[in-house]
Amino acid sequence: MNAIGIGIAVLGIAIGLGLIGFSAMQGMSRQPEAIGKMQTAMLIGMAFIEVVMLLLTFVILGSVTK
Amino acid sequence: MEFLAGNLAPFIASAEKGEEHVGFVGILTYAIFVLIVIFCLMAYAKKGMNLRVFKNPILNCFEQLYLFIEKMCVGTIGSHGRKYVSILMTFWMVIFASNVCSLFFPAAPTADVGFNLGMALIAIGYVQYEGIKTNGFFGHLRHFGGPNLGNVLLAILINPLIFLIEIVSEVLKNVSLSLRLYGNIEGGHLAASAMNKLGEGIYVPFGAFLIPIKLLTCVVQALIFTLLLSVYISLVTHHDEPEVDHESADEKERWESGKIAEAMIH
Repeated sequence: MNAIGIGIAVLGIAIGLGLIGFSAMQGMSRQPEAIGKMQTAMLIGMAFIEVVMLLLTFVILGSVTK
Repeated sequence: MEFLAGNLAPFIASAEKGEEHVGFVGILTYAIFVLIVIFCLMAYAKKGMNLRVFKNPILNCFEQLYLFIEKMCVGTIGSHGRKYVSILMTFWMVIFASNVCSLFFPAAPTADVGFNLGMALIAIGYVQYEGIKTNGFFGHLRHFGGPNLGNVLLAILINPLIFLIEIVSEVLKNVSLSLRLYGNIEGGHLAASAMNKLGEGIYVPFGAFLIPIKLLTCVVQALIFTLLLSVYISLVTHHDEPEVDHESADEKERWESGKIAEAMIH
């Protein structure tokens, strides 16, 4: 059951990460001068989304071991 | 053999079993090892500094790293961001060296959540120190309270709520910084050991093929930690002075003159 929960969470987070990467690459191809700024913003956004999955994984693992 | 196993137990991580930890002594040993590597590299990098042309390859690497971090500082924090290069570069080198250490050794400092929490506490504490130094103590507290809403009733109702939420998010910044690094490095180890099980029957270590991706993760995690730290610093030390972007202004001018020239030709 926990594995299904992690799977569903990872599905949503992968969609979110993909949307960020998709729009960042689109923006980079449209305006190659602004690649540096876009990469910075993209990395920050990806980092914040990634933390959601990590927190959730730690919460589920904690609930399993107890 | 028994003696060795008993005495080296804190230094040898059990990569297969998640229950056992290297302990405080093991993490400290690896942290000291990482610091020794960094100090040796930097001491060697000082060698060719008096020459007219830098020929020392290590020195060139450090120079490129410095330029990269300086560009990131100036781009994120602003024109006064050049004085934060030292702390950001220290964090970058420690995290990167520890991450690379995690590729070769059974344990690494950044694969331990306590070490990461310590680094995050130092980083966020430094951010508070800089905020208090720039805005004063009450100015720093006012920064947590959100914007001035203009209405006394709204200010009494809303601003304490924003203040509480900001305090909680400030505390959770520590947790998110440390858990991100720990989860990425330790998750890589777990993925490698899970993939190793696939090739057990045919004696192929599939987990070893993950090493290029893990190397990418090492660089990106070091980058993200320093990038987020510079963003936090820029949030507490920003000034309202207008900054002129000379480069883009020049480009716009050139582009417009190009358009005019094009129109004149046609």
